[in-house]
Amino acid sequence: MSAEFLPLFLFLAVCALLMLGYPVAFTLAGTALAFAAGGILAGVFDAGFLSALPGRVFGTMNNTTLIAVPLFILMGTILEKSRIAEELLGSMARVFSGVRGGLGISVVIVGMFLAASTGIVGATVVTMGLLSLPSMLRAGYSPALATGTICATGTLGQIIPPSIALVLLGDILANAYQQAQLQMNVFSPKTVSVGDLFVGALIPGLLLVGMYILYLTVYTRLKPQAAPPVDQGTVSLGELMRGLLPPLLLIFLVLGSILVGAATPTEAAGFGAVGALALALARRQMSVQRLREAVIDTLGVTCMVFMILIGAAVFSLVFRGFGGEELIHGYFQNMPGGAMGATLVVMLVIFLLGFILDFIEITFVVVPIVGPVLLAMGLDPIWLGIMIALNLQTSFLTPPFGFALFYLRGVAPEEVPTSAIYRGVIPFIIIQLLLIVALWFWPEMATWLPEQFKQ
Amino acid sequence: RDKAATGKSASVAGVAADDTSYEWKLVTTWPKNFPGLGSAAENLSRMVDEMSNGRLKIKVYGGGEIVPALGVFDAVSQGVADAGHGAAYYWKGKVPSSVFFTAVPFGLNAQEMYGWLHYGGGLELYEEAYAPFNLVPMAGGSTGVQMGGWFNKEINSIDDLRGLKMRIPGMAGEVFTAAGGTSVTLPGSELYTSLQTGVIDALEWVGPYNDRILGFHEVARYYYYPGWHEPGSILEFIINKDSMAELPADLQAIVRQAARASSQDMLDEYTARNNEALRELIEEHDVQLRRFPDDVLRALWQGTRQALDDLVARDPMSAKVYASYSEFYKGVRNYHHISEQAYINLRDVVLGDEDY
Amino acid sequence: MILCHSTNKKDLLTMTLLHSLVNYIDTFTDRSGRLLAWLALAMALLTTVIVVMRYGFNTGSIFAQELVTYMHASLFMLGAAYALKTGAHVRVDIFYRGFGERGRAWVNALGGVVFLIPLCLFIVGVSWNYVAESWHMREVSTEQGGIQAVFLLKTLIPVMAINLLLQGLAETLRSALVLVNDAP
Ligand code: NA
Ligand code: NA
Repeated sequence: MSAEFLPLFLFLAVCALLMLGYPVAFTLAGTALAFAAGGILAGVFDAGFLSALPGRVFGTMNNTTLIAVPLFILMGTILEKSRIAEELLGSMARVFSGVRGGLGISVVIVGMFLAASTGIVGATVVTMGLLSLPSMLRAGYSPALATGTICATGTLGQIIPPSIALVLLGDILANAYQQAQLQMNVFSPKTVSVGDLFVGALIPGLLLVGMYILYLTVYTRLKPQAAPPVDQGTVSLGELMRGLLPPLLLIFLVLGSILVGAATPTEAAGFGAVGALALALARRQMSVQRLREAVIDTLGVTCMVFMILIGAAVFSLVFRGFGGEELIHGYFQNMPGGAMGATLVVMLVIFLLGFILDFIEITFVVVPIVGPVLLAMGLDPIWLGIMIALNLQTSFLTPPFGFALFYLRGVAPEEVPTSAIYRGVIPFIIIQLLLIVALWFWPEMATWLPEQFKQ
Repeated sequence: RDKAATGKSASVAGVAADDTSYEWKLVTTWPKNFPGLGSAAENLSRMVDEMSNGRLKIKVYGGGEIVPALGVFDAVSQGVADAGHGAAYYWKGKVPSSVFFTAVPFGLNAQEMYGWLHYGGGLELYEEAYAPFNLVPMAGGSTGVQMGGWFNKEINSIDDLRGLKMRIPGMAGEVFTAAGGTSVTLPGSELYTSLQTGVIDALEWVGPYNDRILGFHEVARYYYYPGWHEPGSILEFIINKDSMAELPADLQAIVRQAARASSQDMLDEYTARNNEALRELIEEHDVQLRRFPDDVLRALWQGTRQALDDLVARDPMSAKVYASYSEFYKGVRNYHHISEQAYINLRDVVLGDEDY
Repeated sequence: MILCHSTNKKDLLTMTLLHSLVNYIDTFTDRSGRLLAWLALAMALLTTVIVVMRYGFNTGSIFAQELVTYMHASLFMLGAAYALKTGAHVRVDIFYRGFGERGRAWVNALGGVVFLIPLCLFIVGVSWNYVAESWHMREVSTEQGGIQAVFLLKTLIPVMAINLLLQGLAETLRSALVLVNDAP
């Protein structure tokens, strides 16, 4: 057996060893290190790749975009510990109290707001998990429906602008597009920008939210016991406003400050947390003890997210060191079936890689390799970008390795079995796949709106 | 490192050349295949391969592939990679004098920088500054005069800079802050949205060829010139000293000549592509071109003078480099008055609006 | 293996010593983690101040911006050990859940020995030179008004690994003790 297939074995070994249940971050890194050690002894691995790790870790420490992670988590834990989130969802649910599954629908809507303010899967899933899972379980929702809704809602941040994921992807695709056109001897190349991707993502993103809500409505009609109505009767307008207004104000403050440009997502996350604290204090729902719990929870979840990032960095260095990149590249070049065949395979590979690599790694590692190849075959860059984003979003949702599932598992109470989470996400995965198929046959869903904006 | 011992020892006695082959890793601060800035590393790799008949292979890694973009210096210095491509002023936290080897506000232009580096003692100082880090530096391309940046507010007087939030790194950022502005540090990936949403009012990137790709014309009203802050930015190749020493003399020479050629090639590419890109920006995207008023530029020069004095006072190596730079500047400026500058001016006077 | 399950006096002494070592590490990690956690709130407050200063007073402080980065890095680098102790690092627990106490102890003891401890030792080793270089040149911020202590920031890398190594040892020992004590 030649060393050429070692990256494939590494991938399979990680998948198998993760099943043992040792923490994901350390299993990813430890398995990769063991492979690297074996490779060095056998003379087929260049140890230089491993020595790049400190630089990678330092890059993560210095990445200002990622500062949004602990800040959004803190906002979530404060809203949770002070019971404000619960009341917000309660109030939202009252708005939908005539509708079965109203609490689920309000989770999707609250989640959509949160998703719009951050593109980081970990932060959104964790925040939504802390915010709404206890309320849903208390209201008698089946754990599967509750966790499925939260995971799916949590991954919306990938696609609903302003999304950090789309910004990174737009950056890389712009270069890939330029490169592809230069290869085709187009020396006055057309451009694609992050703004185009934002506009292109609007219709698919909102469609997704609509389909989630539709699913909840239909499912709860068929299986009412899975989602009992939160029966708090009707409320007076004043009462409703009191519960609803302050938290909504907070969300609009966070989202609005990003949209009108008062702050970057990181800064908005910062004063989102401070705003949540102020709100809790004003309502006399915050104590030193609760605040301590909130910051300690924030510490745990933040460290979990970043250790996975560091573990993934070790893994990706070793994968690259064994020539995993060449293996992938060589495969694409000998692809039958033209542009669509190649796209199909790329999508499948990205989907699988989404199990072990996070969005940022795939964006920076895989898209620069495959992007120019695909775009040189004549694909639309906006369409390709939205397809990749939707695909990864689905990958992060898919058992047993989806990142969203890990993150939610990290914050879900013990009594929720993992199998319930897996069952719960399946309908949402089907919805995602439906949208991807629709986008495959009607690329205009992504490309039409940007065209209108350009005119 | 990575020496693939495929040599069948065909070396003839007395002839240095053998057919041992070498493999290098080159890390860059740009994304893979980045137009313009990223071309130099790709060209170096291709040229070295051709010239050495495949005995030295250089594999190029984009920013973030092995190490993050701004981890290039550490990686090459410590032998994680054999070579790197980036810009010296990114490392001013490690080597304060490095700003002179890329660009300083109101400094030398591309042609003059190449002259200073290769015939004015600049490269020797560059090597001296990098020697403690086990690095051999070489010029790695030039962008030519950059653009002043994208603005959403018109700059009519120095007062218009007050409170203006701009992404402008390096010494120029200090100068801009001293002039009343606020310099904001942002990663490249956040530039577009930050300008779009107004988190910043202005930013500078490179020039029309690169800026158009990132689409800044979609989110900014005015495109200002001239690039006072980067009049002829030189990019750099850095080579790990041990990796270089491992090579036989002929391969070392090949690396140096290929670096020199690909460096010049980048300037050629920008010269060819910038004007077409600017024409398209103006004609097809209605970009409003503006020139900085003279008194604004004069105020920025005062700030630059101050920043230079500060730097020279606190860092002995910077003082040494500055002395050489300043000496060369005086001489070349004098001669260019009656050569390049005189010629470019007379071209406008004589031809007017007439096409050549 | 030192942890055989005979019960003579010498082994009992070893066990007691190991127990107190585990306790000692636990206490250290616990105290430092609880203190560290407040950095999250400090970051949020400082970020808010930065935004207010920018809009209220048209001033920006690079020092303050970098301070947020330093706090952020300290939070997740130094907190990793605490997260390990409190079980915050997620697992694929499809099978792990059903393993029972002994099975889990096996996973954790083996995982510690095979994955975590080598990883920590590796990070310490591989980052040593990287950090030493930075100290040697007293590396500072690239920004004029920035924090002049990049070498300290980089030092967090081996410190994180040593911290995690200590707690990793404690967790591995704890699991090993479970295996020894409950030996059939
Ligand atoms: Na988003
Ligand atoms: Na520039």
